[in-house]
Amino acid sequence: MRTDLKEIYLPLKARVVEIVDMTADVKLFRVMPEDAFNYKPGQFIMVSLWGVGEVPISITSTYGIHEYVELCIKRVGHVTSAIHCLKSGDIIGIRGPFGNGFTIGKTKGKDILFIAGGIGIAPLRSLINGVLQTTPPFNSSLDKGIPPLNSPLNKGGRRGVLQLIYGSRNPSDVLFNDELNTWQKKGMHIILTVDKKDTAWKGNTGIVTKHLNKLRVTVKNAHAFVCGPHVMIDAVMRDLSSMGMHEDNIITTLEAHMKCGIGKCGHCYAGGKYICTDGPVFSYGEIKRYNLKWP
Amino acid sequence: MKKDMILEKSNLSYWLRQLRKEMLLIGPMHGENGDIVLKTVENIHEIVLDCPALIPSPKEFLFPQKEEMFGFSTEGTKNYRNSKRRLIFGVRSCDVSAIGLLDRFYGGKFIDDYYTARRENTVFISVGCNKPDPTCFCNGLGTGPFLSSGFDIQFSDLGDRYLVEIGSEHGLSIVKKFSHLFSKPQKSDYDDQYEAILSSHAMFEKRINLENARQKILSGSVEDSFWAGVAERCFECGGCVYECPLCTCFNVIDRKYSAIEGVRLRNWDTCMFRGFTKMAVNVWPAEKKIMRTKRWYFHKLLYYPEQFGRFGCVGCGRCTITCPGRIDMATIAYRLKVGNNED
Repeated sequence: MRTDLKEIYLPLKARVVEIVDMTADVKLFRVMPEDAFNYKPGQFIMVSLWGVGEVPISITSTYGIHEYVELCIKRVGHVTSAIHCLKSGDIIGIRGPFGNGFTIGKTKGKDILFIAGGIGIAPLRSLINGVLQTTPPFNSSLDKGIPPLNSPLNKGGRRGVLQLIYGSRNPSDVLFNDELNTWQKKGMHIILTVDKKDTAWKGNTGIVTKHLNKLRVTVKNAHAFVCGPHVMIDAVMRDLSSMGMHEDNIITTLEAHMKCGIGKCGHCYAGGKYICTDGPVFSYGEIKRYNLKWP
Repeated sequence: MKKDMILEKSNLSYWLRQLRKEMLLIGPMHGENGDIVLKTVENIHEIVLDCPALIPSPKEFLFPQKEEMFGFSTEGTKNYRNSKRRLIFGVRSCDVSAIGLLDRFYGGKFIDDYYTARRENTVFISVGCNKPDPTCFCNGLGTGPFLSSGFDIQFSDLGDRYLVEIGSEHGLSIVKKFSHLFSKPQKSDYDDQYEAILSSHAMFEKRINLENARQKILSGSVEDSFWAGVAERCFECGGCVYECPLCTCFNVIDRKYSAIEGVRLRNWDTCMFRGFTKMAVNVWPAEKKIMRTKRWYFHKLLYYPEQFGRFGCVGCGRCTITCPGRIDMATIAYRLKVGNNED
């Protein structure tokens, strides 16, 4: 018998170091795997709770920046509900990282547009922090506006304009508020919008597609990273494409029911592709080419 | 590797008896309800040597219907990977072809260690089909009735003896210790095998060309109304998937024995079930039956060839026997050819 067979279904132990209540139904878990654990933006892990089950969760931290593996988890099903009952010091199981992750090499020197809806900010946060980390910060702020591509402020930089449109249901559902300020200080133009405002909310309202007319990025030359509910992804991709963005430059990360994360269980199989191993990151062009269906 | 030998039928039971001392022997036996099934051989003389294609397929010995993966407790986890040595005798060429494809599916970048541990400790002896069943159509797919490669050991029944073709190190390992039982084949043995192969090919009742079906789909001339008709006839029983030697979908669940102890297991699942793709957020990518039936055929007819260069079907005919709605692979391939969905 071969002794080199990796125990691929056996989770690695990880300790929950810290839990942050983000909103009424979203918590941020900082976990420390017991072995070395490298990953890249856009990848996901399978999180196990013994006796409850295993679910795919995207990684929201950025390797090399964050000390712990961070998971931003919304309570939606029986496993995530059980995860929400965890306490600091508890042990969970993790497998991975799985999936292709985002490829940002092609965005060098280009404008980048991030569009997030709700919990969709979680995988994009990993990418945004990565992009900001590897790029010299702009000396601009939202008030001064983003310098144009030919500005001296952009000379020598690896990227063009960075913009984020982030939509939440309510003001209380906005995630990573502190980091939004940091990103803004680093030169990212941010449009924050909510579906339903409260009395204190002075900002934008309406779904993210409503704000696509406020783009600072040069659409034809930009790359977009889109993540959120299926309906939002569908609408945003179609709109960006019709605005002239190249279909292969509109990138999203798909979610699917998964039981293995390694292309064996078949649950995420669509259009001849496994979302878990061929994705979860796909371009709009690929989604159309492979007929990757989502509702 | 390829090595051929002759085994007199009178020596078969002795050989199997010796092998059984070293490994678990599984073969075609009469089940409790009269069916012939693969199961552990208690009495070698009860092996059914001249049996039709078996239902269920031998995939259950490599990918069991229910498999405990590992146990968990406060002490940690304990892997239940099974690496018991086994000899499975009497499988058919179509199933050996399917196992060859399963080996590639479970291998690749991520190796499924549960499957691989079982596979690497299992030797298959297949018997070429002298009498194909009326539902068989392996002849059109190159997956039977006899194989020229891809087997551990292939038997060709030549009446009073078997031509034994050894096709792998696995196969060789169970022969070389007993070389005194085998003799060198003569030209007449090969002539008899050739006759058996020709005769078998002549007996097939079905002539199914899946390439025609694939081309028809790729041409875009198959309307959704065709697949709607197929979906309408689907009972969502999952029989086709469970019996298919190439269907591999599974579910993973945890079972708790106590507050601190339990087991994670996997069991067969089927993409034909409505909840198969349902996510916790109440999103159902393949909620409509037409999407699920279409996906099953597209997977086998389009995506398998793209990924592996072979169809996801070996022509075993099990779905023809099992499907109550008569939307089995052979029927659909035929209907795609003639261009209608009538009964």
